[in-house]
Amino acid sequence: MAEMVKLFVNGREVEVESGKNLIDAFKVIGIEIPHFCYHPALGADGNCRMCLVGIEDGRPPLVPACKTPVAPGLKVQLDTEKIKKIQHDIMEFELINHPIDCPVCDQAGECTLQDYYMSYDLQDSRMTEPVVVKGKRMDFGCGVVHDQERCVLCARCVRFTRLITKTGELGIVNRSDEARVETFPGRPLNNRYAVNVVDLCPVGAMTSRDFRFTQRAWFLTRDKGICHGCAKGCNIYIDHNREKYKDDVIYRFRPRLNEQVNGYFICDEGRFTYHAENEGRLMAARVDGKDCLGDYAAQSVRAVLGPKSLILVSPDSSLEQMAAIKALSEAVGARLSGYSEGYIKEGDGDNWLIQDDKSANRAGLSLLGIDAGKETFTRLLNSSEVLVSFDNDLFIHDTGSEFRQRLEAIKVIAVTSHDGILTKMASIAIPVASYSESSGSLVNIDGMLQHFDRAVQKNTPYFDMVELCGMLGSPVATASDAVNEIKKVIPSFANVEGGLKLTASEATNVPA
Amino acid sequence: MEVKILSAKFNIKDAHKLEVARQHGAYSRLDKLFAMEPVAVTEEVKSSGLRGRGGAGFPAGLKWSFLPKGLNKPVYLTVNSDESEPATFKDRFILVRDPHLLIEGIIICCYAIGCHDAYIYIRGEYTTQVKALQAAIDEAYSAGFLGEKVGGHDFKLDVTVHRGAGAYICGEETALLESIEGKKGQPRSKPPFPAVEGLYGCPTIINNVQTIASLPYIIENGAEAYKQYGTEKSPGTHLFGISGHVQKPGMYELPLGLPILEVIEKVAGGVLNGKKLKAIIPGGSSTPVLTPEDAKTVTLDYESMAAHKTMFGSGGIVVLDETVDIVKLVENLAQFYHHESCGQCTPCREGLGWILKIVKKILRREGTMGDIDLLVELCDNIEMKTVCVLSAACTMPVRSYLNKFRHEFEAYVNQGTSAQTDVKQG
Amino acid sequence: MSNRSKLIVTGKPFRYDQERDAEFERLVKRYPTRESMILPALWLTQEQEGWISAEAIAYIADRIGTFASQVYECATFYTMYNLHPMGRNHICICRTLSCWLRGKQEIVDYLKDELGLKPGEISADGKFSLEEVECLGHCGTAPVVQVNGEFHENMDVDKLKSLLATLK
Repeated sequence: MAEMVKLFVNGREVEVESGKNLIDAFKVIGIEIPHFCYHPALGADGNCRMCLVGIEDGRPPLVPACKTPVAPGLKVQLDTEKIKKIQHDIMEFELINHPIDCPVCDQAGECTLQDYYMSYDLQDSRMTEPVVVKGKRMDFGCGVVHDQERCVLCARCVRFTRLITKTGELGIVNRSDEARVETFPGRPLNNRYAVNVVDLCPVGAMTSRDFRFTQRAWFLTRDKGICHGCAKGCNIYIDHNREKYKDDVIYRFRPRLNEQVNGYFICDEGRFTYHAENEGRLMAARVDGKDCLGDYAAQSVRAVLGPKSLILVSPDSSLEQMAAIKALSEAVGARLSGYSEGYIKEGDGDNWLIQDDKSANRAGLSLLGIDAGKETFTRLLNSSEVLVSFDNDLFIHDTGSEFRQRLEAIKVIAVTSHDGILTKMASIAIPVASYSESSGSLVNIDGMLQHFDRAVQKNTPYFDMVELCGMLGSPVATASDAVNEIKKVIPSFANVEGGLKLTASEATNVPA
Repeated sequence: MEVKILSAKFNIKDAHKLEVARQHGAYSRLDKLFAMEPVAVTEEVKSSGLRGRGGAGFPAGLKWSFLPKGLNKPVYLTVNSDESEPATFKDRFILVRDPHLLIEGIIICCYAIGCHDAYIYIRGEYTTQVKALQAAIDEAYSAGFLGEKVGGHDFKLDVTVHRGAGAYICGEETALLESIEGKKGQPRSKPPFPAVEGLYGCPTIINNVQTIASLPYIIENGAEAYKQYGTEKSPGTHLFGISGHVQKPGMYELPLGLPILEVIEKVAGGVLNGKKLKAIIPGGSSTPVLTPEDAKTVTLDYESMAAHKTMFGSGGIVVLDETVDIVKLVENLAQFYHHESCGQCTPCREGLGWILKIVKKILRREGTMGDIDLLVELCDNIEMKTVCVLSAACTMPVRSYLNKFRHEFEAYVNQGTSAQTDVKQG
Repeated sequence: MSNRSKLIVTGKPFRYDQERDAEFERLVKRYPTRESMILPALWLTQEQEGWISAEAIAYIADRIGTFASQVYECATFYTMYNLHPMGRNHICICRTLSCWLRGKQEIVDYLKDELGLKPGEISADGKFSLEEVECLGHCGTAPVVQVNGEFHENMDVDKLKSLLATLK
């Protein structure tokens, strides 16, 4: 617990954490100080001047809150006429050369300029002269599109590339009101985290080519999720929408703050994995090449499950799913493997967020005692007559080819969210919900236990994998069964409260 | 009225050359200097009352004493030779005519503050000046006045000339530091002050060329001798630049405290071609304007200027005769400050351009009374809301012109109206 | 200021000649960080070529070991760096305060008539380029004109005529 400091805001005594600047310290107690350029991950720059606050008896009497640490007895003024006038004036300056093209701007609805205009400005423009003309629709690389006229020159994007990725592709060139963000010719954005500048941009100056013009921000439902792109388990927002007469579709992933996992950012690869949630899905159950009802397909699976079956678990499945599948294998006497070497891209990771292991819950396999070794898998496969894959993409990154011959000789069953090579080989295929459509718990590469809830609700929901396991004969047939089972098998999780639901607060990850 | 302390060698032929300079006392104070304790040097400068000659007038010795003690970091001196404020043209005389005076001053300052690496930041436009200065530095190195053992004493000092490249803002001391560090000249928020965290994050003293060049006299003759010139609170002499509509424009070394009108009359020969005096800009383009009436009681020192709601500034006096169109003058200044805004802080970056656009609108005779009021309001809205005072350097004088010569702005607005009326009547 | 962000890509690699190479290596030792060489390195380029191309900026960034964007920022921020070729005789006329008071406009107008050039333009034969610049610090001898770095003080039309005659 940080040391607390007593100071005054608008004459009222408050207690805030020491060691923070005024913006961060006051945010915790529900007091907003408007700002454009300050960002906790990028530090204080002090260029926007929106966070100027009064200090009673202070020398100087006017300070940028972003650069002012809390101090005992400090008398901070936020509601004086002088401060309100400054906030109003700064907004006027920010807007005189702004195109005010909100109707065609992607940021509309989640734009700091818009919000602050409503809170602090709210007057007609007094600018009667032509505005400064700058660049539009500039391709900055990595799918980032820049609009120089909308930019407020807060330099968050520039600081991100210099301080965080240390790739420095962006700069602010020129000076005076000709200043603008640019990339050097031939050296566009070229880093694996570039699209974070879109999230960092407080206005509509940085847009993502992927998201541009697809949805108005206010139609999106923002649900919390965990990225399944790799073993890091970055916390994300899943922004999705069910348009009239259509199905619930994801439009983007955005980073969600978790100091213990990913901070404020996510990688671009992970960000765009949402496409895979919308596309390439297995749409209908299939038995022997014919579409059928899921229940029928499930009965067909149940009929062949037995000691000569090998059940393959996915390292992407949640702990709950793994527990249910494991219980199923024990109930029907089938063999079990979590073999999934194909999910590992050796050397692809970096020393920040991106991991070699592209699966979300490999740690879960070992915690639940599921053997993932290749040797075991090969041995078991060679002596099995049926392979039932539970969403394990054996052919991911071409790694399944060596088993193709054997697979063609036996019966393959795919319980899967996505269509793929293995699914095409399968005589029975059953579609199941993918992670954005279900809830569950994961243990990331650093041993952090994280829970996610269902975000997307499809018009016709797919089977929940745990419930399907129940239909196939698993004694673990519901989420609560699964949690009980997990707590039994993994002692360190026994005391986690409220099931394994841990994402309610950002700071409650439990090391496994 | 003129005195020759800083300018003693300005009219001596080839005084920029070491040999000639030495014949006239250059580097003759070093033995005395190195016999003193560094702290005694600072004390002497403090008691001389020497104030920073860059424009702000902050006491030089006091500035030095802000350096933190006992830090395990190098201390830097940067000499501000950016001299970019319109109407300021004093330091370059030192650079060209007596560069060894500056180098000797640098040695004195560095010894006092414990600095072994000094940088001279010189504006890029000073092409011939930078050559002259570099030649003098090279000579000083050859003669052993710079380098491993300064003047044979156990003191190492390197001096490097760093050239600017066309940015007024680099005269602001933290922008200057950024520029040396290879960045855009964008001022830093203070605190931390450069004396604590300056160049390369180390304690740094930034002094103007003229300030540094005043040191040899003070060391040679003592603080008391220096204080015999000038006023009690503004002691010493200053290189004043007088330009604009005067008979004899030029650079003159004068003690502080002289009446401004007398100086214009007696030193600069009065208003050009016998015209009437309209106004005086007392200390560079950023200082609020004085009317002839205001000027009657103004003397050339920091206190008198402040009492008259203007500033001593850089000592660049501009005389405006009766023919000057104040609105056009404001356009000229607004264009300068808009051009030079570093683009960092919102009010300055966006606001100075707006001011310029409104002034141009008024000059096109498209302005309204509301535009004049808007100009006044914008000055208030911009000023003191920014990291540095560049914006104030524009708004303070612009406000003063709007206050004292509002009728000229109104004439443009009204002329527009009456011209339209004429057309209708015709 | 005008927009200086459009760099010229020549398609040809840039490097220092022997003299600038040596000067770069001499200067780099004077600073505790290599970034401090950005302004001096840009000057060396301009001395060598008369202007600074995109390739030169990339060369400087790589040689110093910094981001091209940072060198690009400096090249565009500091207005004395020429980002395109200038005339063989680059004429800068001070436009600010004292020079304005003392008749800089006559100089500009004369040059406009005589050379057919407006500030910011380069003559077709490449002999002259004209630029109005901010205060050159020669207010006491206004108006002042700087040609290829050389100052010409107390300028008037007659003096300008004789000066132009000497330019090749």
